[in-house]
Amino acid sequence: MASNLIFTQSKYSDSLTIVAISIFTAIICESISYLLIYRTNSYKSLKSTIDKASKKLETLKKSKTKKIDRFETNLKESNRDLSMFKFKSGAVVALILFVVFKFLSNLFEGKAVAKLPFVPFKIVQKMSHRGLEGEDFTDCAMAFLYFLCSISIRTNLQKFLGFSPPRGAAAAGLFAMPDVKNE
Amino acid sequence: MGLKDKKSKQTNSSNQQQHQNGGHFSPFKFAKLVDPDASWDKDQLGDVLHWIRQIVALLCGLIWGAIPLIGGIWIVIFLVISSALIYGYYAMLLKVDEEDFGGHGALLQEGLFASITLFLLAWTLVYSLGHF
Repeated sequence: MASNLIFTQSKYSDSLTIVAISIFTAIICESISYLLIYRTNSYKSLKSTIDKASKKLETLKKSKTKKIDRFETNLKESNRDLSMFKFKSGAVVALILFVVFKFLSNLFEGKAVAKLPFVPFKIVQKMSHRGLEGEDFTDCAMAFLYFLCSISIRTNLQKFLGFSPPRGAAAAGLFAMPDVKNE
Repeated sequence: MGLKDKKSKQTNSSNQQQHQNGGHFSPFKFAKLVDPDASWDKDQLGDVLHWIRQIVALLCGLIWGAIPLIGGIWIVIFLVISSALIYGYYAMLLKVDEEDFGGHGALLQEGLFASITLFLLAWTLVYSLGHF
């Protein structure tokens, strides 16, 4: 109770609001993703295919057989299909994230919501000092705090729920193109 | 060499089925976390390393925000501590053969970016709320 009172009296208590909204948004987004993507048979089938192909590919790489090319091509095609599938359904999630970001942006425009314990690099300052006046680059804008919240909370939530993309998909890349056979 | 080969063998189909059922809902014996004789599936080991990184990030962020420790150097120190713990865990405690899991790079980068953002978030929040 005392700690709650202290935090609400803090100069930067708005940061807790941003964290709470980020957590809520992450839960909503993952729920929508589950309904539109993860529970569908297409996604389960693709994920299973990628997992099996990745494991098979690792085994083949050790024995260095000629089947590697075929499996790599199949894996890349499966990854591409998975990416396209998630992209279509992810538009709804992207819209929600955009709306929430705009809402928070308007709510905390020109206001430092936290104090950074370090001075960020110039390129990071474009986000961390966005819309803030003055030359104190340890003042943290909503955009940077929201970015930290989004990445850390969503990634770990996905991991916890088992919704992380298969490691084979990560290794092959998001925009993997099928090999063009010249023969 | 022989001991590493034995430890790096793939698990049987029951472990694969357990993992396919979902991330954290798979039955998992915590004794395996400190058992150097246990055999590891790539996904299981990756998940464990991910969560270790997150716990270290959260603890470092909370402690350094509370003291407080200030300056970009502490981000580098966090990365060194976090990576050293991960390396020590899989190479010295579990004694796994990293070649069977994609090499040192693959193991060290498990959960790295998420842990950095979590560390920065915890550090910033505790520092901001506790000292201003």
